[in-house]
Amino acid sequence: MNDSIADLVDSRTGRQSRSIYASEDIYRQELERIFGRCWLFLVHTSQIPKPGDYFRTFMGEDDVIVIRQKDGSIKAFLNSCTHRGNRICRADRGNARAFTCNYHGWSFSPDGALSGVPLENEAYFGELDRTKFGLIPVTKVAEYKGLVFGCWDANSPSLDDYLGDAKFFLDVWLDAMPGGSALLGETQKMVLGTNWKLPVENVCGDGYHLGWAHAGAMAAVQSMDLTGLSVGNSGVDLDGGLSVAGMNGHMVLSALDGVSGYAFYPDPKPILEYLEANRQTVIDRLGEVRGRQVWGAQVNITIFPNLQLLPGLNWFRVYHPKGPGQIEQWTWAMAENDMPEAVKAQILENQCLTFGLAGLFDNDDGDNLTACTEQSRGWRTAQMDVYTNMAVGRSGKREGFPGDIAAGLVSEHNQRYFYRRWQEHMMAETWAEVPTYNINSLTEQEAEHA
Amino acid sequence: MLDRPLAPPPVEVIVAVTQALHREARLLDNEDFEGWLAMLGKDVSYRLELKSRRFRADRSPPLPFGPGVIFNEDLGRLKMRVDRLKSGFVWAEDPPNYIRRAVSNVEVLATQPDNEVRVHSVLVMHRNRIDGTTRLLTAGRTDLWRSEGGAWLLTAREIVLDHSVLPDSNLNAFF
Ligand code: FES
Ligand SMILES: [Fe+2]
Repeated sequence: MNDSIADLVDSRTGRQSRSIYASEDIYRQELERIFGRCWLFLVHTSQIPKPGDYFRTFMGEDDVIVIRQKDGSIKAFLNSCTHRGNRICRADRGNARAFTCNYHGWSFSPDGALSGVPLENEAYFGELDRTKFGLIPVTKVAEYKGLVFGCWDANSPSLDDYLGDAKFFLDVWLDAMPGGSALLGETQKMVLGTNWKLPVENVCGDGYHLGWAHAGAMAAVQSMDLTGLSVGNSGVDLDGGLSVAGMNGHMVLSALDGVSGYAFYPDPKPILEYLEANRQTVIDRLGEVRGRQVWGAQVNITIFPNLQLLPGLNWFRVYHPKGPGQIEQWTWAMAENDMPEAVKAQILENQCLTFGLAGLFDNDDGDNLTACTEQSRGWRTAQMDVYTNMAVGRSGKREGFPGDIAAGLVSEHNQRYFYRRWQEHMMAETWAEVPTYNINSLTEQEAEHA
Repeated sequence: MLDRPLAPPPVEVIVAVTQALHREARLLDNEDFEGWLAMLGKDVSYRLELKSRRFRADRSPPLPFGPGVIFNEDLGRLKMRVDRLKSGFVWAEDPPNYIRRAVSNVEVLATQPDNEVRVHSVLVMHRNRIDGTTRLLTAGRTDLWRSEGGAWLLTAREIVLDHSVLPDSNLNAFF
């Protein structure tokens, strides 16, 4: 298998075999080597604030339940009864003192312990060792400033090391203001007939499609005149931002104007006022570069493999794979806790309008991704390649930023790094074989200056 | 407030409002968006809230800023959505998709003021897009319709969608 994986992607020239979007064998290997190995987003702490609060999600195709404990910590378990395997929780979220299985009535407490077994003495003759039948815990659960991740692989790096220099950008949302962050609203769930990698590569680096695929929405809602995001892919300011990659498989697209995240708000004024009132605070906390240029700008952050968050546009999304040709896309609105109530309400409202289930922008992407998937399933198409070969070799170091950086939002630089990371994981038998890299790390840059 | 139930609306009103629901569905099926917008009151509110599946006994408090929405539109926002659909740039709608709405379970109820009625109905929307890709969406609707200048205008619609995971890749359609 590794020989063929080596041929399927050439991240130097920007080429992928279409079979990676269609093959059942490759998909099974992804469940093992990517979703079974990487740190996967589970929940934001704001979604389960109180003891007993729980949230149901997926790690790959594994149904998982994430529960706030009495002591405030967070645990996660397979949502599967240890008796015969039934799903123990069919609710999306809630608060519970126990989870009782519908099949034979085994009961589990929020810490996963098997706390009740009907007819325990009569039918099991008191011989069942309950301690051996607790819910199966997710091997590792860790938090980074409100984002809770889980990982099945005991040998993975720490979450901190896994995120690496992507934290430089994550902090533009998570740590810009002292009050931290929150997710708002119910989960916006949609089925898409796409391979999971296609929406990830779209949002991780594809500024190219904005002006064309979303031309209808741009014409209808754009409230700021931004040359970087023009209609019809003409007159695009190619140096309006940065494509940042080479950070352990995480990628960032960032405009540098400090306001463009709100260009698609019909009335951006209240938010622009919030930004300007707090700009100095953020500069004090994060420095000039992030405080002045990145905070408030359109920023797309991708945490490998399936988490994407766009501070500015304020949507936060995970993709759960459901076979090689299908996903569930889950979206929430993101806010900073220091925002005035009216601004938070406006963010939720506008996120739903632009990137919700009837989102003016979001509704343009689904059919394209679905068709790219379907056009990989044919006998002939599965033998063909597709290309992310725009602006190959035009990247480097940029003062003040980590990462290997290409100028502009229109580049396929980030996609190449995404597929490179995909290939590194797919070829590695164990975590020890997966390379770690934070290119042009700021700590190294500082050391050079010293 | 009311100490006795209101008398049911006159049968002519029931017929006229039911006909308006059918006409509305036909205009939307035919993409006659201008005709549809003309059936809406200036103060129209058009809403579809998100929800989550919860245990009946669940006592979690409501989310701090509410569930969020799929639609929360006034006339201006509905016009903006129509402008987008008519921009000529919404590639997912070209060639046009086959879409058919069936309205049923219509109940027309009297309300106050007496030139308004409350209307429950069920909408079944059949969408055939891209070769054989077919989706069936169902929703319940509770409307307010107002008689104004000889016509019935939709002034409020609360939609409840019967899908916890939207089974289609867009909602370029009105319920
Ligand atoms: S499967 Fe859960 S109690 Fe038997
Ligand atoms: Fe897009």
